Amino acid sequence: MAKKTVKVPKIVDGVPVGEVEIQVDDNGGPSWGANDKHRLLNKPMIRVDGAAKATGTAIYTQDVRPPGMLFGRFLASPRAHAKITKLDLEPAKKLPGVKAVLAVVNVGGEVRFEGEPVVAVAATTPEVAEDASRAVVVEFQDLPHVVKGAEALQPNAPQVVGRPPRIQKQGDAEKTAKALESCDAVIEAQYTSPMLHHCCLETHSITADFNGKDTATVYASTQGTFTIPGDSARELGLPQNKVTSIVQNMGGGFGSKFGIGIAGQWACRLAKEVGAPVKMALTRREEFLAAGNGPGAIQKFKAGANKDGKLVAVMATQYALPGIGNSNLAGQPYQYKAEHTYREAQAVHTNEDASVAMRAPGHPQASFAMESLMDELAYKIGMDPVEFRKKNAQDQAWHRQLDAGAKAIGWENRNKTPGEGKGNLRRGMGCGIGAWGGGGNAQCQVDVTIGKDGSVIAAVGSQDLGTGTRTYIRAIVAEELGLEINDVVEHIGSSKLGNANASGGSTTAASLSPAVKDAAYNARVEMAKRVAPLLGAQPDGVVFDQGRVMGNGKSLPWKQACAALPEAGLTAHGKWQPTLSSSGVHGASFAEVEVDVETGHVRVVKMCHVQDCGLPLNRTALHSQINGGMIQSIGMALYEGRVMDSDLGVMVNPGLGDYKLPGTLEIPELIPIIDDGDNRQAVIGMAEGANVPGVGAVANAVYNACGVRVRDLPITPDKILSGIIAMQKRMT
Amino acid sequence: MPDKPQDPSAPPSSRWSRRTFLKGVGVAAVSAETMLAESTKAVEPPPPGADALNTPIEGPVKITLNVNDQARAVTVEPRTTLLSALRDRLDPPITGPKLVCNEATCGGCTVLLDGKPVFGCSVLACDAVGKKVTTVEGLGTPDKMNAVQKAFVEKDAMMCGFCTPGFVTTISALLAKNPNPTEEQVREACRGNFCRCGTYPHIFAAAQAAAQANRK
Repeated sequence: MAKKTVKVPKIVDGVPVGEVEIQVDDNGGPSWGANDKHRLLNKPMIRVDGAAKATGTAIYTQDVRPPGMLFGRFLASPRAHAKITKLDLEPAKKLPGVKAVLAVVNVGGEVRFEGEPVVAVAATTPEVAEDASRAVVVEFQDLPHVVKGAEALQPNAPQVVGRPPRIQKQGDAEKTAKALESCDAVIEAQYTSPMLHHCCLETHSITADFNGKDTATVYASTQGTFTIPGDSARELGLPQNKVTSIVQNMGGGFGSKFGIGIAGQWACRLAKEVGAPVKMALTRREEFLAAGNGPGAIQKFKAGANKDGKLVAVMATQYALPGIGNSNLAGQPYQYKAEHTYREAQAVHTNEDASVAMRAPGHPQASFAMESLMDELAYKIGMDPVEFRKKNAQDQAWHRQLDAGAKAIGWENRNKTPGEGKGNLRRGMGCGIGAWGGGGNAQCQVDVTIGKDGSVIAAVGSQDLGTGTRTYIRAIVAEELGLEINDVVEHIGSSKLGNANASGGSTTAASLSPAVKDAAYNARVEMAKRVAPLLGAQPDGVVFDQGRVMGNGKSLPWKQACAALPEAGLTAHGKWQPTLSSSGVHGASFAEVEVDVETGHVRVVKMCHVQDCGLPLNRTALHSQINGGMIQSIGMALYEGRVMDSDLGVMVNPGLGDYKLPGTLEIPELIPIIDDGDNRQAVIGMAEGANVPGVGAVANAVYNACGVRVRDLPITPDKILSGIIAMQKRMT
Repeated sequence: MPDKPQDPSAPPSSRWSRRTFLKGVGVAAVSAETMLAESTKAVEPPPPGADALNTPIEGPVKITLNVNDQARAVTVEPRTTLLSALRDRLDPPITGPKLVCNEATCGGCTVLLDGKPVFGCSVLACDAVGKKVTTVEGLGTPDKMNAVQKAFVEKDAMMCGFCTPGFVTTISALLAKNPNPTEEQVREACRGNFCRCGTYPHIFAAAQAAAQANRK
C-alpha cells in the first residue's frame, strides 16, 4: 500500500511554526513505507522493560509464589536404561511436610535415559522436597544402553527406539559419484559435533496455582503463552477456558520451551493431587539431563570442485544424534549449489534425552560441516575462500554480506598460507554463511485501545523472550499515532489476551508486528473519524504527528483530541497482514582467532556478523541479538558439548561448571552489522540466522591460523596439539 | 554499594561462631505465624564451655536477616541457603537474585554481604545473620536506579534478563571498590557470572558508562 506526503504544521516546543512535509500511510491500508523513513522503528531504541530487569522487579515464573505453594521435586533416574523392579514411596510420604509422592514410572516400567523422572514429590519447603526424593526406595535392573552416536552406528549396538532407521535419500548417487571422478580437487572428510545444551538460565519451570476448585492459573517459563492452557487443563481435569497462563518474563528458551513439558505436567498432577499450588522448577542437573538438547551430528562428505571455483559434486551422509527423540539436520550442501548432489540422512538413537529445537535447529551443525568443507576445497584449488563462496552461494545477498564482513574483519590481512605466522601465537581468519526463514503467520490478534484520557494500550497474549517484543509493540503503535514510545503501554504474556503464536523459528516479529501495525492503523483511522469534525477536516485529511492531531490547518494536542472519544474510548482490532512481513534471511560471519601452538589454546580476537532482516524494528535490540548469535557460535565452535561415559551411560558434565559456556573472559571484539542493503519493506525474524555461520567461521580461522583442520567440535586444545604433532610428523 | 564500616553491635566476623550466633539472635521456638509452625523446635543454646562451632543446630530456626536495610524475620533450616531464605521463605519474598545453578557456577544469585559480592546459593542463611545483605532491589528501584542499573538500560546490557540482577550486583560492588576499572577488570570481576543470551559486550560497555557517570 502506498504512502502519501502531506503538509502539517511544524511544532517546536508545542508551538506551531510554519509547515513541514511528512510521509504518512495512505488510508488504503497499513504499510511500513521505506525502511529509512521511520521515526521510531529502524532506530536504536531503549528496551522498555529494561528498568524492571535491571532492578530485579521483573517477575519471572520462578519468582511467583502463590499462598500455600508447595515445592515440587523429581527423583531422576541415575541409570541410562533400566527396568524398575522395586519402588517404595512410603518412606517419603512419612516425612513431615511432604504432601504428595507420585510415581512417574511404575514397577515394571523402564527408564530410557539418565535423568528421566521416576518419582515426583511435593512438600512445604525445597529442602523437605529434596529429602523426600531421596527417601524413595527404588531398585533398577540394568538393560543394555548406548550413549554415543559412533557406538550406536555399530552393527550390534543396543536398539534404543525399537524401530528400523528411516533413511532419507535425495539426489542421484550414481551421477554424483561419476562427476567426482573428473573434479580438479576432491575432499573426503567427516565432521562431527556433539549434543548441545540450551542452558536457559531459568530452568524449565511451571507454577500451577490450583486449589482444587474450578479454575487455575499456570505461570510458565515458556516460549508460547498459548501452548500452556490446553495441556494444563488436561492434567488438571478442567476445561481449557478455565485455565489462564501467565508469562510476564521468561529466562531464556532457545527452542527448548514449548508446551508444559515434564515440569509442567507434574506440577499440574501434584497440584491436582493435593489441591494446592505447586511449583516444579527443574534443578540445573535435571535441566541438562531431561529438558531437551540440541542433537549431535556426524556428517561424511565426498565433494569436488574445479580450479575455476565451481562446486561440482557433493555427496553427503548426515547422521543426526537426537537421543531417544527425532531431529533433522539442514540438508547438504546447505546454502550452496552444486551441479550434482546426493544426500542420505537418518537419525541415530542413543539412551539420552530427546533432542528438541535449539536455535536454528539443524543449521549450525550443517553449516559447520559445509563451511569447513568449502574451506578445504578453496585451499585445495588455491582460491580465496570468500571468492569461492561467492561463486557457489545460492543467493546474491551473500555477495554483499561477504564483502561487508571481509571489510570489517580486515580479510586482506589473513594468512595466504595457513599457519605462516611466526612465534607461538598465530593469528588467522575464517568465514561462513548461513540462512533462516523467519517468516510470519496469521495467529496474532491484537487490540489497540485509546482512552478518553489519551492513554494507549496495545494488548496481545504474546511473550517477550528478551528479544524486545514489548519495545517494538510500543514503537509500532506510537509511530502510527504520532506519539512517543512511553505514551503507549503494552499488555502481553497472558492467555486472557488476544491469541499469539509461540516464539519458535524466529516467527514472532514477522507474525506479531504486522498485527500490531494493523491494529494501530485501524485505531488511527477510527480516531480520525472522531476528531475530523472538531478540526473541520475530512477524516482522510487528519494527520497524527508529534503528539498532535492535525487537519484543515488546525492542530489539537493528543489529549485534547482524545477527549472527543466516547467514555469507553476506542478499541481497534488488528490481525496479520501478509504484505507487512516476508521470509528468508541471510547472514555471513567472519572470525579472527589466535592459536597458541604451544598449548593449543584458541582465543577469538575479533568477530563480525552481517545480517539482513527486511525492516529492522529496533537497531539496538538487533545488535544484541547478533552479538548473542556470535557468542553462541563461539561456544559451539570452541567449548560446548555433552560428554558421555560409555560404560555407565551417564553424562559427565551436567552442570554449568563442567559444560563450558563462553564467559566474560572469552568474549572477543564483536562487530554486529545490520545489512541495510536489504530493502524489503517487511519484517522478517533474524535471531536464528545470527548463530549459524559463526561456527564454521571460527573453525576455518583456526585452520588459517595454525594449519590444523579440526573436524570434530568443540575445538579443544588437545585436538589442536594432536594436529600440530601430526603435521610435524608429516614434515619429518 | 560501598563497603560500609562494620556495625559495632554486630559480632566481628573473625570471632563469629555458632555459639555467638545462637546467643546473638536468640534462637527460640517459632510462633504460629510461620509456615513451619507445627514442626518448629526450640534449639537450646549450648551449655557454657561447650564447643560452639561443633554444636549442631537442628530443625527449623527463627532468624532475623538484615536485607536491604530492613530487619526481616524468617524461619529457616540450618541448611537453608541465603538465596532460598530470600526467595522461598521471606514473605513477601525477595526475588531479584535468581536460582540458576544452586552450585556456585553462574552468579545469577549474587548478593552483597557487607558490601562484598557472594553467591547467595552458597551462603547459609544462618551465616548471614548480623551481616548486611544487599540484593539488586536494594541497589536502586525503577524510579531511582543506581548508575549501574541506568547504564544497563541505556546500553541494552540484557535480553532475557535472568542474569541481569547478578551482573548488576557484581559490577555495583566492583565500582564501589574500584571506581575506574578497565574493561579487563570488569571482565575479571564478572568471571563468575554467566549470560546465555550473549549480552556481554553491552555489559562491559554499561560498566564503563556507569563508572563514568559516577565520576561526574
